[in-house]
This record gives sequence, structure tokens and C-alpha cells, in this order.
Amino acid sequence: MSAKFGKIKAGIAAGAIALGTAPAAFAEGMEYQTVTDLLHLVMSSDRTVYTRMIVNRLAVQEGVIKASEHFEDEKALVLPAQMFRFGAEMVAEETDEFSYSLLSLWPINKQNAPTTPLETEGLEYIAANPGENFYGEEELGGTTYFTAVYPDIAVAEACWSCHNNHKDTPKTDFEAGDVMGGVVIRIPMDG
Amino acid sequence: MRVRYLWFLWIAFSLLLAGGAFARLYLGGDRTTFLPGNTSGVHHQIELACETCHTSDDFENQAAIRKDINKTCVTCHKEELKAANDSHPIKKFKNPRMADYWDRVDARFCTSCHSEHQPEITLAGLVTLPGDFCVACHSQGDQDVRVNRPTHAGLEFDTCASAGCHNFHDNRALYEDFLVKHSGQEWLKQEPIHPVALLARERARPAEDEIANYLASLVAPETAVGTIADEHWAASAHAAADVGCGGCHAPKAETESEIEAAWIDAPGEEVCASCHKSEAKTFALGRHGMRRHPDIAKPRAAKRMLKNLGWKDPPEVVIASIENYLAEPSPAPMMSTTEARVPLLPEAHGQDVTCNTCHKPHEQDLTFAAVGACLSCHADDHSLAYKGSPHHTLWEAETAGLGPLGSGVTCATCHMPQSERKGVATTNHNQNDTLRPNEKMIRPVCMECHSLEFSIDALADADLVQRNFPGTPDRHIESIDWAVSRVEQSDQGSNQ
Repeated sequence: MSAKFGKIKAGIAAGAIALGTAPAAFAEGMEYQTVTDLLHLVMSSDRTVYTRMIVNRLAVQEGVIKASEHFEDEKALVLPAQMFRFGAEMVAEETDEFSYSLLSLWPINKQNAPTTPLETEGLEYIAANPGENFYGEEELGGTTYFTAVYPDIAVAEACWSCHNNHKDTPKTDFEAGDVMGGVVIRIPMDG
Repeated sequence: MRVRYLWFLWIAFSLLLAGGAFARLYLGGDRTTFLPGNTSGVHHQIELACETCHTSDDFENQAAIRKDINKTCVTCHKEELKAANDSHPIKKFKNPRMADYWDRVDARFCTSCHSEHQPEITLAGLVTLPGDFCVACHSQGDQDVRVNRPTHAGLEFDTCASAGCHNFHDNRALYEDFLVKHSGQEWLKQEPIHPVALLARERARPAEDEIANYLASLVAPETAVGTIADEHWAASAHAAADVGCGGCHAPKAETESEIEAAWIDAPGEEVCASCHKSEAKTFALGRHGMRRHPDIAKPRAAKRMLKNLGWKDPPEVVIASIENYLAEPSPAPMMSTTEARVPLLPEAHGQDVTCNTCHKPHEQDLTFAAVGACLSCHADDHSLAYKGSPHHTLWEAETAGLGPLGSGVTCATCHMPQSERKGVATTNHNQNDTLRPNEKMIRPVCMECHSLEFSIDALADADLVQRNFPGTPDRHIESIDWAVSRVEQSDQGSNQ
């Protein structure tokens, strides 16, 4: 695991976390890892809440509505992975000062397989070392990025039951608490 | 001495020429001379409104210009891409993890695939890449379709988008689970009726005494009373909605004297648009009305353009002489049939395309707008073959009272489909919304009566389309079979 920490400008931290004015605490700048850790805390909390309190409760426990990739056609709930991706794409439309995605070594949707060597290294690391994160740097499209990879854990039955039974899944034995994939967050380090 | 005069003359002449070019470029008039190459398809309507797409400041760098131009594509096409549930949205490719793909086909920019002013390399759909462009990303690694889909193993990449199977943007009717869900259906429904058309056609003509009462209540100048127009009007939906003469001919007037004073003999389309907002909006998105789209650069008025260039209060004589020299504004404010690049009847030329072109404002005969108006202009093979086609036969039966309401299929049924909202039928006036690619028509139109399989096959048979569907498709697209072979009915979704 490599972790070279740099300083990130206050504006980036403010844009990332508050999308508004920079709080005084960030005036001195923050380490890249601190920023990605904080971002991930927000992402994983929201993701867990949606998965447990919306999808798992309504679709699995109470069975009042199903969750489907084709949520518009099926009048269904958005899948937790889609919820996460739509947020990431909305951020991508607003800023290029950070980006994030939900990836896996065992993706149902092939576009969520790792595309860079560091993504592969990071996803393998968090799968082999439960409870740990992965940090590194990589150059993509002529820009150097600070890249952090955080484990994405099976937090509710909806997660593993869907993934284990899906016709496109490459892995069918996920259990509660397993690392199913990873959240990858990037911040450009140049300028 | 003579040489000095010649120099003077040469400089003066050069300045004059430069001034003329400058005026055409920045102030108004025809800018055809400055076109770097003809635009493709419908963009010819706005190709002289250069500022619509070219918004960058002068002497901007290439990267900024590319960004600016691409923003303008999305300005006009954003809504349709959103409605299409775009399979390759720009936002998906902005993530730096896609950097490797940027070198193959840079899908962050529309212009990577759609480059204007290059007619010699432009394919259908304004695509300026070779037809097998899918190979760039879907032929290796995790994205290799030949590995992911055994059924695709022997296929060439120039067939992905050309055989009725996939589109780059709009796959609403073609995604795998949709194919599976709608497999195994009969080619024609047992009761092929378009429910929204039924809703729209159900309004019966009012009784004669109702019409007489309505006519007696109208307020209009004497010259406008007692004509055949108002009798037609009295039976119209406008009359049913209590829209009187003044509603259009004197929109802001209320009393009888105000209506007489403010009377306009021929109200413009802005009067229609003041109530029919949805129709006006969608009309401006289609080929008939796109010059009215709010994001298209307006025809240039000399006074405004001089002001933009920093001359705040130019003398009237300067404006008049510039306008005199530059003559017509560019682009023209509305589309004329004379400029159309699709086959039209000779007698159709020379008309501006407005609401009244298709809708006779007093007759309110929607059957004319649904078929007659289209066929009074369009003379392509598909249009010419409509009369006598099975769809037309159904329409004739319905209008003769022999077929059920909503069973007739008109030009508008397919090209201006209706949708229902809160019990009211609304007509989409963007006649291009269900075309290019024609699979866009499958869900809102074809599947109201036909199976998905028949619809896909029929739309893939270009000859059948050209002959206006007189028989059955001469080919079978295997996409549904392949999707079904991979999975039985799935309720979980699949990899798109």
C-alpha cells in the first residue's frame, strides 16, 4: 500500500464536502487522505441507509415493492448500486475536482470492473485485508490522481441475495459482512 | 503621382471589400460564403446562425473551443437524450478511470462522433466515424461482447448499430430485459386501438342548437360574422372551451368595443402558442419549427449587432444603409418549404411553416392536420405510399364510422404521437421525436398495436418502410431470440 499525502486546497475540500463556503477548519488545507476519508464516510453512510432502510426494508423484509435496474419501466425502487452511480454522475457533471465510483472484481455490470492497474491492485488489497483501505497515486489522461479505495461491505440481505442470484454475476457465494467491491475516490493532484 | 493615386485606390477598394465581409460576418445578411463545408441533415436550417454553436471568444484555444461547441449540442439535445435514458451519457465518461477509452472514442465530447461541416464522411445520424466504431471499446477486456455474449461471437462490428439491434444512445426498446419481457407475442394485438387517439377522437360534434346558442353569444366585427368560418368554429374544441373570436383576433381585449378596436384579421402563431405551450415547445424541437427554438441564435438586426460590437447609439442612416446593403436577415426567422431538402410536391413550395400551415384555424378539422396537411407537402416514397396502405385503410374505416375510434393510423399517429396527461391528450409536435433511429418509434407508437418482435423486424426492413408497410417484413432480427436463449424471464435486471 502506498500513501503519499499531499495538501489539498481549502476550496477543493469545501466544494467536496459542503459544495459551498469553506469552513474555517479547512483554511490551512487538508491531506488528500483526510478528504477522501471524509467523502467516503458521507458516501458509505448514505449508501448504507438507502440499502437498509429503503431497499432491504421495503423489497426484502416487507415485500411491498421490488427493486429493479429498470426502475422506471418496472415502477420499482432504484438499486443501491444505481443510487450510488447516479450520485457519482451528478457530481461528475458539476465538478472535476474529485470523482468516485463503485467497482468490483466480481461486477454484475461489466462496466464496473476495474479499468486501471491501481484499481485492480486496490480492490485486491481490500478484499485480502478486511477492514483496511488502500491509498495510492496514478496518472490517467496526463493528470496525476490521489486514489483511495474503500471496501464496500454486504450490509443487508438485499445485497447478497441479489448478487448471488443474478444471471450475470461471476460470484454466487457472498455472505453478510463480505467485501463485495470497493468505492474508488480520486482527487487530481496537479494544480 | 499616378502611382500614388493607384495605391490610394487600391487601399480604399481593399477596405471596402473588408468592410463588406466584416458586415456580413458580424452585422447581418447571408453568410453562406463563410461556411467551411455544408452542414448535415436538419442543421442546414441553422447553419447561418453561426453563433448558435460557435460561442467561443475570438482567438480562444482549441480545447476551450471544443468544450464550448459541445456545450451547445447538449443545449438543444439534452431533453431527448434524457428521455432516451442515454446508454452512453457524457457524465459516464468524465470519470478519469475512463481515460484509456478517451484515446479510442472520446465520448466526453459529442463532436468525437458527430463532426459538422464534413458531408463527405457523414453517415446516417450525423455520425462521422466509420460504421464499426463500437469495435473501439467493445472488442477487448471486460467489455468484449464476443466473450460476454456467445451469440455475438461471429458478428462483425459494422452490424451492431445497423441491423436493428443496438443504438449508441437510445435503447429503450432494445435492452435485453425488455426484449425478454415482450417475447413470444402475437404480431398484432386482439384489439389494436391507440388509447390516447381514442381519447382525442371521442368528442362528438355538438347539437345544432348548442352551436346556434354559441354563435349568438359571439362578439366580433360585423365583417367577421355570418361567414362559414364561424359555423365550423362553433363545433370546434376551441368553442367547447369557450374561446370566442376575440380570444385570438383581439387577445388582450375584453369588452365588445375593445375587441372591435383591437381586431387583427390574421393573428400570428404567437397567439396559438400563448395557450398551446406544450405544442409550441415541441414544435420548436422538430424540423418544422426548429428555427424558433429559444437557443438558436436569432436573425441579426443591424442595430443590435452594432451595439454588440460596442457602438451604443448608431445613427439611423448607418443602420438603414447597412440593412439596405445586407438585405435579408440571416437566418430567416422561420422555415420555408422552399428550403426543404426532403422531396416535396411542386405546389407545396414557397410556404412558411406555421401553425396555420397544418391547422385551419376556423375549421378545427384535426383529420386534415393528421393526414391531409402532411400529404399536401411531402412527396417521398413513404408518404406517397400511405394512401392505400393497411394503416390508411384503417383510418378510412374509422372516419367513415365503420371502424372503432382510435383504430385508424394516420401520419400523425406515428410521427406526432399523442400522450395522455390528466385525461387530456397532448400531441407531440416534434415530428422527429420518433425517428432517427426509427427504433425510437417502437415503444410510443408501434407497440400500441404490434408486438415488439414484429415492430423490430418491420422497422429494420427499409423497403417495407419505404412502401408504407403493405405486407410483412422480409427479415427477422434475432435479438429477442438471443436474449431469451440467455435467460428465462428475469425480474432482476441484467447487464446493459
